[in-house]
Amino acid sequence: MIVAQIKPLPEIAEGLEPHGKTLIVGCGGCTSICLAGGQPEVDQLCLELEQLFKEKGLNKTFEGYVVERGCDPDFIQELDILAAEFEAFLCVGCGAGAQLIAEQFPEKPVYPGVNTQFLGVNREVGWYEEKCRSCGDCQLAYTGCICPVTRCAKSIFNGPCGGTQREGRCELDAETPCAWVDIFNRLKTQQRVENIERIRQPTAWQNQKQGQLVHEAYRDRYTKKD
Amino acid sequence: MVSDRPAPAIDQHRIKQLLAQKKQLKLFLSICAKCGLCAESCFYYRNHRDPKATPAYKAVHSLGRLFKKRGKVNRHELEQMKSLVFDKCALCRRCYCPFGIDVSSMIALARAICRSQGVYQRFDDK
Repeated sequence: MIVAQIKPLPEIAEGLEPHGKTLIVGCGGCTSICLAGGQPEVDQLCLELEQLFKEKGLNKTFEGYVVERGCDPDFIQELDILAAEFEAFLCVGCGAGAQLIAEQFPEKPVYPGVNTQFLGVNREVGWYEEKCRSCGDCQLAYTGCICPVTRCAKSIFNGPCGGTQREGRCELDAETPCAWVDIFNRLKTQQRVENIERIRQPTAWQNQKQGQLVHEAYRDRYTKKD
Repeated sequence: MVSDRPAPAIDQHRIKQLLAQKKQLKLFLSICAKCGLCAESCFYYRNHRDPKATPAYKAVHSLGRLFKKRGKVNRHELEQMKSLVFDKCALCRRCYCPFGIDVSSMIALARAICRSQGVYQRFDDK
């Protein structure tokens, strides 16, 4: 699923300040599951934004509506009936959803209410981990189903690099396991090491680190305590 | 962080508004011949073989009930609908009807009505 995180409230408010009545559009899909843009978050955002503007001496109205899937034009059409009474939209679906709403209502400004982070999995409630960069050239078949593009800091196709540390850790961070050591170990278990003996054409990826997001409400639960 | 406010009373006026906005869907309910052909197109029904998971059953016992009762439903009834429209349907839009009934639109409206009254799936652990 797509993982997103609610933007800081002042950043959202800055964009919405020039506008009057605003519709906050949530999504019943991915951003509901990652606790960023479902019905409870939309309700909460309405209250928080109204309060924030009230403190600034501005009386603004926010209403919320959650579409089933913000990336599906059939569901976005539900907004047609509501759109006329609003000056602007705040979308707490992913970036794809925000852009689809903007296409549907080109005369109205649409603001993103979340930062879309990555394609990932649910490790636990409120704990998400990146698994795929949507590179469009999937190598999982040869790498024991461990993604070198996502997991390796250098996203290299022919690893490991010379920076692999003892105990199979990445040179960038002693806590991060080297993706290519994990790939080798998994293929060895499956007796398929020859899969990575053939050199694959390198790709021009920028150096990136695997993304991980722990929802603020669950941070205490997953933070290591001494 | 979401709040723990108590559920507000059912806003029947809002439910009626939502039903009125999509009153054309009422026609689908009157066309349905209860032939059951939609059942095999539903992956949820095919996996579970639960008659309550057939698209027709889900639509009739959610949106159908809402239209029939003109939106005068209580929270308990909405909670019952919740298990039909959220838990037994993925809104994959693959349900097939020989009359062209758009079952998923009906389920989507039933979900919107449930949501408008604070009845929805939760993904945190409350």
